[in-house]
Amino acid sequence: MTKRLKIYTPFISAGIQETATYRVDLIFYLLGDVLACFVSYFIWKAVFISSESEFLHGFTMPQMIVYIFLMFLTSLLIYSDGTYNIGEEIRDGSIAMRMLKPVSYNATFLFQEIGNKLVTNVILIIPLVAGVEVVRTYVTGEIQFNILHFVLYLISCVMAYLINFFFNICFGFIAFIIKYLWGANMMKNCVVGFLSGAIIPLAFLPDTLEKVFLFLPFSSLNYTPVMIYMGMYNSSQTAFYLGLQLFWVLFFWGLSKLLWSGASKRLSVQGG
Amino acid sequence: MIHVDNLRKEFKKVNKEPGLKGSFKALFKPNYEIVTAVDGISFDVPKGEILGFIGPNGAGKSTVIKMLTGILTPTSGQCIINEQNPTQNRKKYVKEIGVVFGQRTQLWWDLPLRETYAVLKEIYEVEESEYKKRMEFLNEVLELDDFITSPVRTLSLGQRMRADIAASMLHNPKVLFLDEPTIGLDVVVKDNIRKAIEKINAEEQTTVILTTHDLADIELLSKRIVMIDKGNKVFDGKIADLKSKYGQMRELVFILENIKDLEKLEYKSHFKFKDDDLSVTNDGISVKVRFNNSVAPVADMLSYTLSKISVKDISVKDADIEEIIRRLYKQEVDLND
Amino acid sequence: MKQIKRAFRMHRIFVAQELKRMMEYKGDFIIGIIGFLFVQASNLLFLTLIFSNIPSLMGWDYTQVVFIYGFSLIPKGIDHLFFDNLWSIGHFTVRKGDFDKYLTRPINTLFHVMVEKLQIDALGEFLMGVALVCVTLPKLQVEWSVLRVVLILAVIPFATLIYTGIKIATAAIAFWTKKSGDITYMFYMVNDFAKYPVGIYNRAIQTIITYIIPFAFTAFYPAYFFLTGENPLFNIGMTVVISVVLMSIGILIWNRGIKAYESAGA
Repeated sequence: MTKRLKIYTPFISAGIQETATYRVDLIFYLLGDVLACFVSYFIWKAVFISSESEFLHGFTMPQMIVYIFLMFLTSLLIYSDGTYNIGEEIRDGSIAMRMLKPVSYNATFLFQEIGNKLVTNVILIIPLVAGVEVVRTYVTGEIQFNILHFVLYLISCVMAYLINFFFNICFGFIAFIIKYLWGANMMKNCVVGFLSGAIIPLAFLPDTLEKVFLFLPFSSLNYTPVMIYMGMYNSSQTAFYLGLQLFWVLFFWGLSKLLWSGASKRLSVQGG
Repeated sequence: MIHVDNLRKEFKKVNKEPGLKGSFKALFKPNYEIVTAVDGISFDVPKGEILGFIGPNGAGKSTVIKMLTGILTPTSGQCIINEQNPTQNRKKYVKEIGVVFGQRTQLWWDLPLRETYAVLKEIYEVEESEYKKRMEFLNEVLELDDFITSPVRTLSLGQRMRADIAASMLHNPKVLFLDEPTIGLDVVVKDNIRKAIEKINAEEQTTVILTTHDLADIELLSKRIVMIDKGNKVFDGKIADLKSKYGQMRELVFILENIKDLEKLEYKSHFKFKDDDLSVTNDGISVKVRFNNSVAPVADMLSYTLSKISVKDISVKDADIEEIIRRLYKQEVDLND
Repeated sequence: MKQIKRAFRMHRIFVAQELKRMMEYKGDFIIGIIGFLFVQASNLLFLTLIFSNIPSLMGWDYTQVVFIYGFSLIPKGIDHLFFDNLWSIGHFTVRKGDFDKYLTRPINTLFHVMVEKLQIDALGEFLMGVALVCVTLPKLQVEWSVLRVVLILAVIPFATLIYTGIKIATAAIAFWTKKSGDITYMFYMVNDFAKYPVGIYNRAIQTIITYIIPFAFTAFYPAYFFLTGENPLFNIGMTVVISVVLMSIGILIWNRGIKAYESAGA
């Protein structure tokens, strides 16, 4: 097993170097995204001030604020760029080169991205979690950090990342049909953003919609880890949603395998 | 036409220590180093000349060209082209020059080629009647008709280069700068491009500054070269002079009937060659002897060789410019004699 | 005068080129426009869901908030549509040395860069903005006057140039640093604050988006004037002043940057 994984270390280290080169850019991009996060913070604050009841769909104002910042943190941790990378390779034909290498295609992408994420996530996770906890303590008035919830959150994030990764790989294959990936990607991000609860908690949707969305793979991305972190799920709910996450990981992993084999057939027919 | 006087360009280079610590240091307390890319170069080019401008990689060629075309501002010194200073009135100046960078294109990638010319016509404010005449001329020289309706992205490299040269000539510039115009092209296409440049120069008296890695370009197109190295001018003169002055190397190529005969040839001791003056290589069939013509004349070498062994075939090659320049770059020839 | 005429002519020609390019990739552009419509639709859905829980957002009703939001998309969309090419300067044009091309052409470099591309995708943004304004207009309790209509229309180009000015200034940083797309992004993201009534933010944010990175003038202040008729001198006048100042700063940095530009390689 270790031997098999060893062939992927060059991909990890390439990923690390790639990110290290652009770390200053990353900080600026991050600051830009933090700003967007603050916009929603102020809107939600205004919403609760304007509301007559203390609870909105089961959320108090402090919980809502924690939700926003956690959403931001989670999106960052599980971010995956697979669609764009694979789409570009399909477009310029270099995907054939990747297929020639005696390694799993998915794994090369995955390990390269893990390299990227090692840098960003390791640098960011401590200050950001600390930041979220400070905000949380400030708005709720007491320390709420729960180590069990946090560990479960991390596990849930790993699965969420894998779902995101394999889903994006699958989506990248539409580059065989649509050339303009940027536009398609924008649409995808928008729909996923909504269905995953990143824009508004799924609890705010009409009941039937909420139930449907909770079973779709997208709620397994951001919503599940965030709800676990916040302690909104009891233990049986937690177990159920973690299981659902695992199901979706396997589902998209299998789907991506299927698409790859379809693609290699197609490439060999076209003659590369 | 072109007067370059003591042109100098310095760049500030940030020295960054490796690693994260180095980056932070560079961010707050950068450690600058002044790099002199061009160190006081002067030359003149008369109207209608094709000047070959050469030098090894990193010699400062591009920096000079970029100063001459107004892209970079010189640190000191000046260039006057067509009685104008490139950086002083850029917009007026660039109307009278044409520039082709072989590695980049100025064509509209996604559109049929003729669209590019239609836009350039507007950018350079070319009159309609003049435009028609120009297109006719350029079409005749560069044979654009075959692909003028194709989107630029579908053109071959050679077609694209022809199209790019036409784009730079549309406004009838007095000076044409060609930076690596034959890079990456095959032999036949290179030849077409060279002929076109020659024709443009002959028919319009366009002054051409040509930088290239392919010395055949220079040999076929220009009578004069300026060579620079490490930011300094190291040679300025006619190619013929360069050849007669430094071109003592000749090449003797022959095929032996019996390869073992090779041992019988003792050029080095017989003619007293120094190490640099002689090299003998063989591939098992033919033998290549490169030697310094001033130590042993060709006639002596031939008679010595034929007296010692019997050969199937023998030929003598003149010094080619490439060989001289290769030696110049390696500084085997002292240019200050 | 002759120069202005030429500028308009050049702009028309570049736009025509871009439209021809668009015809070559029709499908892509439609996807892009729909993509932007999606983004706006999801934001609108967000507002709608929020307002299903509350009667008003700190004194602003649904129609008013949607109006402000819609109005904010108009200048943003116009800038995006016409001057999007500025992004590429900070992202790669300077770094790859491709800026040389602009310097060898006999037209103003900034003008050339700005008008060279048309980001047709932005039509999705712009059209959504116009649609939201049109739908909300009849429902707003506004005292109609010619002055208000004239001023709100006249302020749109200035609001647009606030975006453009900030993009020029931050893109031009690349002439020194080779890359500045990330800085442009950071500044640009501040515009998110401008889509909602500034009253919902705290003092610090209000000060920033009014005086430091003054995106509030691209949408909220002009829209506020239209809704209330209050303080035209500040809401409209300042928009014009800030827009002119930002454009001037942008052009100044740009022109200095050109002199510092070092091309790629040696």
